[in-house]
Amino acid sequence: MATASISLRDVGRTFGATRALAGVDLDLRPGVTGLLGPNGAGKTTLLRLLATALPPSQGQVRVLGLDPEVPAERTGIRRQLGYQPQEVGFPRGFTAFAFVDYIALLKEWTQPAARHAEVRRVLDLVGLSDLGAKRIRAMSGGQRRRVSLAQALLGSPAVLILDEPTTGVDPEQRVVLRAVLAELARTSVVVLSTHQTEDVAALCERVIVLDRGRVRYDGPVTELTGQAAGRVWLADEPDPAASISWRTGTGRYRNVGGRARDGVEHVEPSLEDAYLLLRGGSPEHEPAQGVAS
Amino acid sequence: MDSRPDDETLLLAVAERDMGAFRTLYERHAGWLAIRLSRRCNDRDLVADAIQDTFVAVWQKPRGFRGDGDIAAWLWGIAIRRLVSRLRTRGGVAAVSGHPGVAPAAEDQVLLSVEYGDIGQALARLSPEMRAVIQAVVLDGLSAREAAQLLHVPVSSVKTRLYRAKAHLRAALAEGPS
Amino acid sequence: MTGWHLDDDMLRRYVERTDSLAEGASAEQHLLSCEPCRARVTAAVTAAAGGTGLSVIDFAAVWDRTRDAVEVPRPSVFERLLRGAGLPAQEARLVAVASAFRGVWLAGVAAVLAFAALAAAFGHARGVWLFLSVAPIVPCLVVASSYDPWMDPALEPELVTPYPMLRLVLLRTIAVLALALPAVLLFGLVVPGETAFAWLLPAVGFVAVVLAASTWVSPLRSAIAVSSAWLAAIWLLAARSGAPEAVLQARTQAGFLALAAASFAIFLVRRRRLHQLRPWR
Repeated sequence: MATASISLRDVGRTFGATRALAGVDLDLRPGVTGLLGPNGAGKTTLLRLLATALPPSQGQVRVLGLDPEVPAERTGIRRQLGYQPQEVGFPRGFTAFAFVDYIALLKEWTQPAARHAEVRRVLDLVGLSDLGAKRIRAMSGGQRRRVSLAQALLGSPAVLILDEPTTGVDPEQRVVLRAVLAELARTSVVVLSTHQTEDVAALCERVIVLDRGRVRYDGPVTELTGQAAGRVWLADEPDPAASISWRTGTGRYRNVGGRARDGVEHVEPSLEDAYLLLRGGSPEHEPAQGVAS
Repeated sequence: MDSRPDDETLLLAVAERDMGAFRTLYERHAGWLAIRLSRRCNDRDLVADAIQDTFVAVWQKPRGFRGDGDIAAWLWGIAIRRLVSRLRTRGGVAAVSGHPGVAPAAEDQVLLSVEYGDIGQALARLSPEMRAVIQAVVLDGLSAREAAQLLHVPVSSVKTRLYRAKAHLRAALAEGPS
Repeated sequence: MTGWHLDDDMLRRYVERTDSLAEGASAEQHLLSCEPCRARVTAAVTAAAGGTGLSVIDFAAVWDRTRDAVEVPRPSVFERLLRGAGLPAQEARLVAVASAFRGVWLAGVAAVLAFAALAAAFGHARGVWLFLSVAPIVPCLVVASSYDPWMDPALEPELVTPYPMLRLVLLRTIAVLALALPAVLLFGLVVPGETAFAWLLPAVGFVAVVLAASTWVSPLRSAIAVSSAWLAAIWLLAARSGAPEAVLQARTQAGFLALAAASFAIFLVRRRRLHQLRPWR
């Protein structure tokens, strides 16, 4: 059985006059890859492309070696694909079980007994096994996110595309999510998008930084973090020699980039520091300290 | 007492569609409900169906319990009526009162008169049919019609037997201990 | 709460059904208000299931059935109708799960139709115009709503499943028409003359146009556009000639048939557009 893979060659996507993606070259293998970037960077567009929901305007996409432009191959991809969109509306009156069961039907689980067992399995993975009979409309935002994640996990797909899976999800659930994804990522390609660096640090081995439709970085998380080594230091005042500097919760100032004088108090870089350095402190990014914007 | 949630808390959780609470309720009550039902009807499948119906009914109307009396009594009321309902649709199946011809041992007889006094003895001397009616109407609180469905006899028979049983009991009690 | 409880002997006799009526009655009355004794009875009953052969019921199996009864969604009336009509169970479910089949929505449509039909029956010429303006557009509006993203909020995850979108759209269309057409026909029976059927071909034509247009724009948008165009045309016709018979002419009817055929052909040619997200928002 071939290793799961996704490859993009010079992929671009435009909507009318807007260029959402350009010149994207990617090779993805089993493992968890994070897609990082500010709003409007093209993350959702790229994920939709990977999920075969959108065709590219130019370039070539291959998912599991198949071409989504060929209808028969596209169906083949979709048989092994799980996709959690950024927002899912749920039909009125549906319970969690009913909704996941419905998607399972669309995913060709025709035998009721096997289908119900699979629905319960994925609901259990996301921690909703006791709430299967609860109406989705009566659930919290985080619980609804978990329902949409559950349907993506049906069939343990070889390709799992998640658009902002951590939004509204509390820390305990994030730990569970990490375990679920790690298990799946042994043989599946998992791609998730977020604009919080701490999610990438916690969940992903690999990170792709997207900015205005182009790939700025593509490689291991540790390597990106390493780019900020020796370039982060703490001080009691914001250092004018730094590229970026902000006040941390302890009252001291964290300074990143630029020229540090000798003898400053260097600290271990975090992924966020490296990410900020990469973006060069451009105006679109808010130096959020791991807090959702 | 340990920190397990009480039945009322569980019912509230069931109203919020918590399957875990529902399961706990089942594990707590299905056992004694089933044995009590099987003492009214010795058809295992019917009892199983009645138990299923009971808990489905609890799920559908968890707020049906008004907080007056024991939850167990409320559950039993649902369970016995579900059994009667199943019997009605099954037709032709007679429920059997749980003591077919078991004669109490001599020492039990003594026990009866010591612990339960006159009533126990008087009851023991009733015929099985009359005992069954007393159990259904007086102890389980069924209406005459429901008792008729449970015992698979006409309603008039239920009324007659009840009348006779009460007459017997009154007479036996008036006689005094033997 | 007294300190009196069932002793082990009584408990055993109760569970094994070798006690007397009075003993049993006393035990049962006690159990209703004593939780610890109930727990002991439950333990004895469920333990016995494995050992002495006194198994009351298979508690695990009954639990599974109970959980299924409350958790697994029950088929709706419409779903059962579809199954009866020959559709396999899972396809019947797929088709039934569309907003267009929500009772409230359907009731609203029925109300509009009823009003129009009554107006036609009692209001003579103007009533006939009213019926002719409403009846042909109802089916295409209902069809459009059965797969429009606005009314089908779960479109994105549905889209990327292996189930052929074309089949889903067509099945939903047919199912909806099977519901809508007889309903309109029924209401049409109160309308005098041939108007009762004159709306059929335009209705089919509009459905086909909406299907075709949905390969470019959102179905509901095109349905609204088509409906507006029709209403405008009817109004113009009414203002000019005052005779609804214009719609009944063989030429007009044939024109609608041609429109239906052409639109459906376009729909089939462009059907692969259905498989991917349109910028419908």
